[in-house]
Amino acid sequence: MMVQTINETEIKPTNLWDAAQSQFQRAADAMNLEDRLRVILGNVKRELAVNFPVRMSNGRTQVFTGYRAHHNVNMGPARGGIRYHPDVNPAQVRAFAMLNTWRAAVVNVPFGGAAGGIVCDPRGQRSGRAMTARELENLTRRFTTEIDFIIGPHADILVPEVNITPEIVAWVMDTYSMHHGHTVTGVVTGKPLAIGGSALRDEAGGLGVELVIEQAARLKQLQLAGATVVIQGFGNTGSNAARFLHDLGCKIIAVSDVSGAIVSQAGLNPLQVERYRAQNGTLLDFPNADTWNENELLELPCDILVLAGLENQIDASNAPRIRAKIIAEAANLPITVEADDILRDRAIFIIPDLLANASSLMLSYFEWVQDLQSFFWTEQETRERLSRVVINAFDNVVAMSEQHQVDLRTAGLMLAISRVAEATRLRGIYP
Amino acid sequence: MQRVRRGETIMSNDKKSPYLIAQEQFDLAAEFMGLEEDLRGILRVPKRELTVNFPVRMDDGTVRAFTGYRVQHNTTRGPGKGGIRYHQGVTLDEVRALAMWMTWKCAVVNIPFGGAKGGVVVDPTPMSMRELENLTRRFATEISPLIGADGDIPAPDVNTNQQIMAWLMDTISMHSGRLESAITTGKPLGLGGSLGRSDATGRGVSFCVAQAAKFLGMDLNGAPTIVQGFGNVGSVSALMLHDLGCKIIGIGDVYGAIYNPKGIDPHALVKHMKKTRTVADYPDCERVTSQELLELQCDVLVPAALEEQITGENAARIRPKILAEGANGPTTPEADKILFENNVFVIPDILCNAGGVTVSYFEWVQDLQSFFWDEGEINKRLKHVMDSSFQAVNERAQAHKIPLRLAANILAIERVAEATRLRGIYP
Repeated sequence: MMVQTINETEIKPTNLWDAAQSQFQRAADAMNLEDRLRVILGNVKRELAVNFPVRMSNGRTQVFTGYRAHHNVNMGPARGGIRYHPDVNPAQVRAFAMLNTWRAAVVNVPFGGAAGGIVCDPRGQRSGRAMTARELENLTRRFTTEIDFIIGPHADILVPEVNITPEIVAWVMDTYSMHHGHTVTGVVTGKPLAIGGSALRDEAGGLGVELVIEQAARLKQLQLAGATVVIQGFGNTGSNAARFLHDLGCKIIAVSDVSGAIVSQAGLNPLQVERYRAQNGTLLDFPNADTWNENELLELPCDILVLAGLENQIDASNAPRIRAKIIAEAANLPITVEADDILRDRAIFIIPDLLANASSLMLSYFEWVQDLQSFFWTEQETRERLSRVVINAFDNVVAMSEQHQVDLRTAGLMLAISRVAEATRLRGIYP
Repeated sequence: MQRVRRGETIMSNDKKSPYLIAQEQFDLAAEFMGLEEDLRGILRVPKRELTVNFPVRMDDGTVRAFTGYRVQHNTTRGPGKGGIRYHQGVTLDEVRALAMWMTWKCAVVNIPFGGAKGGVVVDPTPMSMRELENLTRRFATEISPLIGADGDIPAPDVNTNQQIMAWLMDTISMHSGRLESAITTGKPLGLGGSLGRSDATGRGVSFCVAQAAKFLGMDLNGAPTIVQGFGNVGSVSALMLHDLGCKIIGIGDVYGAIYNPKGIDPHALVKHMKKTRTVADYPDCERVTSQELLELQCDVLVPAALEEQITGENAARIRPKILAEGANGPTTPEADKILFENNVFVIPDILCNAGGVTVSYFEWVQDLQSFFWDEGEINKRLKHVMDSSFQAVNERAQAHKIPLRLAANILAIERVAEATRLRGIYP
C-alpha cells in the first residue's frame, strides 16, 4: 500500500531542531532574556501537518504528507522555504522556521519565520523513479490548497528551496490566485519575472555570499586577490558566488555538487565549469582538474570555504581537519553545534548562515514589496539596495559581537532575538 | 467542571497507541468490504493536523506556554465535528484516533459532518476561571484559521463545558465582528444552545436498547437491567430504560455499586444523588464492586463509565442479552470476540452513544437557521435518526452474520468512500 503514516512515535527529532534550540538558548543566556519570552520564542507558534491524495500518472492515487510551520509572526508575515524531499520531517521544518525568524530579524526585514515541505521523491533519488511534471503539478496544487488557509501575502510567504523549480513556484501562485478569484503575486517569492518576480533573482544568493566574504576579508585583513576558495555545493548560490569571487581575483581551487568534486590548484574558471556541467550533466572529468569525493574537498587547505550544499556538512568528526581561514555558511545549518565549538577554538572565522545567506531573504523581501506596490525596480536599484542592507547587517552583527565579546553567530542571534523580543514585549500577550 | 471522566486519557507507555488501534479497526473493515487501496490510503490518515504552542498569562503574573492540537480526519461529507478536551494526558496520537472515530460516528447516523478532535495538554483542575478563560480565548484564536461553522465545529469534551464553549464562541465572534453561534455546539441555552442536548446520549442509548429488544423478540417489561456509571449518560439511560419498563437491578458510580434484585427506582436515586453525590450509600441495596456489577446476571447491561471495562479477562462471565455501549470503547477487541461467540447482542459505541452528536447536529442546524425547535420536536427527530441508523447497521450485521461493530464501521466507511469517489481527487 502506498501510504505514508506519520505516527509521532516514529519520528525522532533530528539534531537540527536540537541545534536550533541550543543556538537560541545560548544567545538567550548571553543576553539574559526573561523566561516569559523564552517560552514563547523557544518554540514554534504553529505547525500544520496535512495528508493529501494525488492522482499519479498510472491512474492510482497516492497519499503524501506535507508540513508548514510558523515560528513567529510578531514582526510581520511568516516567510520561509518549501522543499520536496524524502527526508522532510517535522523537526527539520520546525528548525528552519525558527532560523528564518532570526534571519529576517537580523537584517531587520519585517518578516517572521516559516518553513515547510512535502515528503516525496521528485527526482527519484530513493525510488529510482522521478515524478512526472503532471504529478508534480497535481502535488503542488493540492498541497497549496491544503495549506491555503495559513498562507498568503499578509500571513505566510513561501519561497523555493530543495527541488522546487520555477514552474512549481508559478503553480503555487496560480492555485492560490484561482482560489481567491484574483491574481495574488505576493504569496510566493522566487517567481519568474513575467509573473511578479524581481530583477537579480538568480544572482542574489551568490552576490550576498560575495558581499559578506568581502566584509570578512576586510576585517581579517585578508587579500582577496589570489585568495584560494573552495565551494561545496555548486548550485545556484555556489556557482554565482564562485563567479563573483573569481571576478574579484580569488582563485577557485575546488567545487563540488551531487556528482562529486573537482580540484585544480591552478584555479578553475566558474563560467567554464558551469558550461561543462550544462553540457555533460556532471562536474566529473572537467579538463585539467582532479576528481575527489565531496568529504575530502572540505578538508582541503584554503583561505575561504563556502558551504552551499546541505545541512550538517561539518560535524565533530571532520571539524578538526578543516583548514580554511574563513568559512561562509551559504547553506542552512551546515555546521553542527559541536563542530562550531571546535572551529571557533581553532580561530576559524565563521560567517554564520544568518548573514551569509541573508541576501536570498532580502531579495525575497524586495520581490514581496514590489508585488505589494505593483511597481518594479531595475536591476541596478535592486543591487544597490541589496548591498546596502547586507553590508549594514554585517556591520551591526560585528559591532554586537565586539560589544558582548561573542562570536558572530551568537551576536547575530542576539541582535535578532532582541528585535523579536522587543516586538513581543510591545505587543503583549493576547488576550 | 462537567463530564470529568477520570483516567480516561491516561495511558501507560506499554499500551498500544489509540491511533494504531483506530487504524487497525479501519483496516479490518476495509479488508472485509474490499475497499480499493487508493481510498484506504486516504481514509486511514487524518486530512490535517494543526499543533499550536501559545503563551497564557497566569494569575501570578508569569507566562506559561501550552501545546494544543486540532485534527480534522475527514471533511468530505461536511464540516469536521468533534470535542475539545483539556487534559495533561492529551497526545497527538490520541487526538488523531478520536478524530477518526468521529468521522465514522457521524457517518453511521448519516449526519452531514466529518470527524475532528482537539485538545490542550493541561491539567485544568488547579487553574482559576480567569486562567481558563485566557487559555480558552488564546487557543480559540490559534486554531481560528481551521475552525468555523462551515469548516470545523468544536464541542465540549473531557474537562470542557458550556462556559468554555461560550468563551470560544465569543472569541471567534469578536474577531469576525458578528455573532458566530454555529461555530461550536454544547453552548448554554441562552446562547444558541439546543434543548434536549444534555439528555441526548442517554436517550439515544434507550432508543437503541428498545430497537434491539424488538429485534430479539424480547420483552423489556421487567427485564433486569444494570447500568455502570451514573453520570450524565448513565443516569439518563437508567431513567429512560426504567420508563420503558426495564427493572434496574444494579447501578454503579466511581465510589461503588449497588444491587437490588427487586428493582431500584432511578428517579428516587437521582434525588438521593443530589444530596449525597454518590449512589453507593443508597438504602435497601447490597453493595458490590464495580467489576462484580458487570458480572451480575441481567438482560440489559449499559456500560456508561470508562473505557476498557469489559476485557478478555471478564468477558466470559458477562452474559446479558443486550450490551449497550453508552461509554466510548468500554469493550476491548478480545472481549468483543468472546461476547460474539456467546451471542451477546452488542450495540457498539459509535451507534449507541451517537445521540449526543446527533443533537449537536440539531444545535448547529438551529443556529444556521436561527429558528429553534421545542424539546418534543428534537426528541422526535433524535428517535428517527437513532432508529433508522440502528436498522441500517443491524440489517448489515444480520446479512453478513458479523458483529454490529464491524457492520457499523463498514456502513460508515462506505458512506465516506462513496462521497470521496463522487467528489474525485482535486485537482
